[in-house]
Amino acid sequence: MRRGAFHRGLTLFWWVVMAFLYLPLAVIVFYSFNAANSSAYFAGFSLRWYDKLIHNDQLLSALSNTLVLGIASSTLALGIGTLIGYGMYRHRARKLGWLIVLIYLPIVMPDIVFGISEMAFFISIDRQFGILGPSLLTMIIAHVTFQIPFVALIVYSRFVGLDPTLFEAAKDLYASPFQRARFFLLPTLKPSLIAAFFLSFTLSVDDFVISFFNAGPENATLPIYIWGAIRRGVSPEINAIATLMIGAVLIAALLSLMFNRHKQH
Amino acid sequence: MSKPESPYPLAAHSRSLSPDTRHLLWSVAPGVIWIVVFLVLPSLYLIGVAFMTNGPYGQPQMPLTLDAFSQLAGFGFLGWSPGNLYTLLRSLWQTLLATGLVILVAYPLAYRISISREKWRALMLLAVVVPSWTNQVIRAFGWMNLLSPGTPLAELAQFFGLIGPNMGLYPSNFAVTLGLIYNFLPFMVLPLYAAFEKLDYALVEAARDLYASPLRAFWLAVFPQTLPGLLAGTVLVSIPAFGMYVVPELLGGGRAMMLGNLVASQFAGGSNWPLGAAGALIMLLATFGGLFAMRRIGKRLSGGEEVVI
Repeated sequence: MRRGAFHRGLTLFWWVVMAFLYLPLAVIVFYSFNAANSSAYFAGFSLRWYDKLIHNDQLLSALSNTLVLGIASSTLALGIGTLIGYGMYRHRARKLGWLIVLIYLPIVMPDIVFGISEMAFFISIDRQFGILGPSLLTMIIAHVTFQIPFVALIVYSRFVGLDPTLFEAAKDLYASPFQRARFFLLPTLKPSLIAAFFLSFTLSVDDFVISFFNAGPENATLPIYIWGAIRRGVSPEINAIATLMIGAVLIAALLSLMFNRHKQH
Repeated sequence: MSKPESPYPLAAHSRSLSPDTRHLLWSVAPGVIWIVVFLVLPSLYLIGVAFMTNGPYGQPQMPLTLDAFSQLAGFGFLGWSPGNLYTLLRSLWQTLLATGLVILVAYPLAYRISISREKWRALMLLAVVVPSWTNQVIRAFGWMNLLSPGTPLAELAQFFGLIGPNMGLYPSNFAVTLGLIYNFLPFMVLPLYAAFEKLDYALVEAARDLYASPLRAFWLAVFPQTLPGLLAGTVLVSIPAFGMYVVPELLGGGRAMMLGNLVASQFAGGSNWPLGAAGALIMLLATFGGLFAMRRIGKRLSGGEEVVI
């Protein structure tokens, strides 16, 4: 009997935590459909804030900045990171401690230190040589820096999961290095390359701090735009754009769930 | 020019290297150079700035000095004031408090997930993680909505006399703690769940057979088995919490500032780069010190085995 009560208590606790986790997001979604000008009361369902979004040029340019930054940085990081992952695997018998430390560095570095050290560095270079002032370019550089490790680790773990004799087999069949890359490496790596690209892209879109400190005045991304809007004074429009971003996350969660189900069967 | 990526001093003479080594260098060179140029050098530069003199426009100048650190300790033109020191201590306290509370919430939660039917577990884990996939600015904004004056939570707090009339629960230290817990809960649940999933219940039964009370059985048979997960979670929560910028900035305000905000303000508004860099150096030392300590403890826990966190 006591065990039952303990179990029920845990279940109740679970739902309380769920409320804690989802309430802040639910409130945003709720008020994004509010006809009133304020979050203080609800004046009926309306899509007016979404309508405003479409006509907000600053917001649309923030969206395009976010996409350009995400795609450009993920593509670069995919190339560079895949090479590292491959090198780590091929030479795993060596002592690569220095390489591992270097690869973990961007992951463990607090993002405020990461962002500010790059900002200070780029500004100093800009003062000296007139290049690398805060711009989309510096943001892309910064993003690639934190994406490389994730790509490298994903690709490396895929290689480790492979049967090492496959490499020998490809060689035994007299495949040239190019053919080995084209017909063996690329197809086997494809799922992890796609996963790595999407993870990089997600990290890029999700990042605020590092972008914030490396952005020029014209390079606001969506999170930076939202930040600015909050600082200027809360407008119901933020609820609408935040709702869209929450929706994108929920869709991603659904996809990942379906993908995992698919893999299990 | 020497190649920064090579630990071997002979790397410059690439002809003397074996084809194997050359292959390694070629494949990892772009990434290694990238990380060295765009992260290691900037960090070294920042560390250097911490020891420089603050120039008239907030730009670092020679000569080298320890001024920034004495300013961090509170010594300024106007004598000693504890502002910066408070900020440091507050960051430490908020980190400890949030990590402790996250453990208290995550421990039963992870256990509850691990005893669910197998088909539900993945879904439950996903439910815990999904909110952290949204942008942290949006998450903080959500809490601003919930804690501002006039909301049910704020009115409840007023009813109990915790805050004055027409006040909100934010900006405050309380809101910062809440925001930190909200941000980092999944980082504790995941490693703890991994530990609970592997839990060997035979030990618990053995303890019960030997007439251990439930509490004693938990302490002797369950808790030690979850310790590695707890340790990993503590690293994953406390290190980013100590460097948190967004949450104290949006939910805290001036009197709930943390080290990250102090650092940022010295580069943006305050314009005292050396002071900001000194704060960043403290943060780096805390990060690597924490990682190193956890590694040592982790090694001892697993009997000398290497643990990759």
